[in-house]
Amino acid sequence: MSLANNTVKYPVSIEAKDVMIKFNQKMLFCADRLSFSQGDVIYLQGDNGSGKSTLMKLLAGLQSPTKGQIESHGFVSTPWWRTQSLLGKAVYLHQHPYLFEGSVKYNLTYALAQRSLSSEQRKKRISQAIHMSQLTDLLNHHASDLSGGERQRLAIARAWIAQPKLLMLDEPISNMDKHSQSLVLAMINQLKQDGTGLLISSHQTCGLTALCHQYWHIKQHTIHTSMHVPTVEEVHQANTTELHYGTTN
Amino acid sequence: MSDGWLVLLQQAFSLLLSFDPHVWAIINISFSVSFAALLITIIPSIILGFILAFSHFRGRWIVTNLVQTLQSIPTVVIGLLVYLLLTRNGALGDLKWLFTQKGMILGQMLICAPVLIALSQAAFSSVDRRAWETSRTLGASWLRAVWTLCRELRVPLLLAIIAGFSRILTEVGCSMMVGGNIMNVTRNIPTAIALETSKGDFAQAIALGLVLLILALVLNFILGSLRGKAVPRSH
Repeated sequence: MSLANNTVKYPVSIEAKDVMIKFNQKMLFCADRLSFSQGDVIYLQGDNGSGKSTLMKLLAGLQSPTKGQIESHGFVSTPWWRTQSLLGKAVYLHQHPYLFEGSVKYNLTYALAQRSLSSEQRKKRISQAIHMSQLTDLLNHHASDLSGGERQRLAIARAWIAQPKLLMLDEPISNMDKHSQSLVLAMINQLKQDGTGLLISSHQTCGLTALCHQYWHIKQHTIHTSMHVPTVEEVHQANTTELHYGTTN
Repeated sequence: MSDGWLVLLQQAFSLLLSFDPHVWAIINISFSVSFAALLITIIPSIILGFILAFSHFRGRWIVTNLVQTLQSIPTVVIGLLVYLLLTRNGALGDLKWLFTQKGMILGQMLICAPVLIALSQAAFSSVDRRAWETSRTLGASWLRAVWTLCRELRVPLLLAIIAGFSRILTEVGCSMMVGGNIMNVTRNIPTAIALETSKGDFAQAIALGLVLLILALVLNFILGSLRGKAVPRSH
């Protein structure tokens, strides 16, 4: 859950109340109350198929819950024709990011068309994003030519340029070499410094989880929240115990 | 090839290259009517194709099957339907569109739409759903996200447009029934070919046939060059 002082300091938030998601008539997960606010850095953990990506898509407004409500607070009001109020407010980044057909620059500036920025601000933001993602030499390359790490960096820079208040990163450093991991970590750290609310899912505990100060765990179809983020040792110990004795309901 | 054929081909080329007013009037009518029908149909059909691919409303299965069935209806049947609508006692008789280019455009729209809808639905069904989600989560409006998908699917969508255009440019049945094959008014390439062949004036029929053949070649070259540029995606 969010800290009360966070809510005061950072008014932008998304709240899920009594949500439940069913998939093929089977319950995926449920939660009484979840709050994701600007300034929060949350580590989301769960087994494969437990619904981590679904939860993130739910909070990003890309999917609707089977039951319950998701509300946004503190965002700039959208025009009447924008029926889905969550879209574009909380940005969701896929585990394998989708890059649009075209150059790196086209992808990077995609979200800017929706923002009313002066050309100066636009240029500044683009050069900051390029610098942060270290893609300067690849700016005019076709996006499909990028490596896995470069794709992820471009996707984060593309989201950063949209200035999201809340950002959800689905396994952002999976299948990456050490160098790419450290670059992505630096970008995520920068987003944290900027005050962006982050919800990060990962299978492994690593430098990424060290950035987090809240913990959401999807276990046995329920989302458990805690202010204590488990360390590498604690996660390994829990996994080993589950392997030996199985999970209990 | 016999001498007779060579003479006919020579006459056909000279009709085209000497800008014979009758032949070029037919070509002009054919293209203007078919382009108009295509332009009016293109956007609503692609949007409908998108809706059929992406939404899950009740009755979607029936609409999809209906559209696919309409694709294979003979053009002469559509011509009959439009004729009955536009005839003096028909539902749209007051428009007085029978034997006019407007009537032909209406008929060709009905022929073109199912092809465009079905092929664009197939294209949208094949797109990576992350493209839509990425566009929307980055704040794109519904319309801009659809435009982004169209950009991603430009080759299959262009193929759909070319298929629709080829179908209406080459159809005889509907144009003949609704247009009436009136010289300088509603006579287009296919109806003119049918008429000139029945009269035994093969040179003009071949000249018009050559126009269709050249058009088919040009469209295929355009499509081929676009396909060549399209890079297989790795995710």
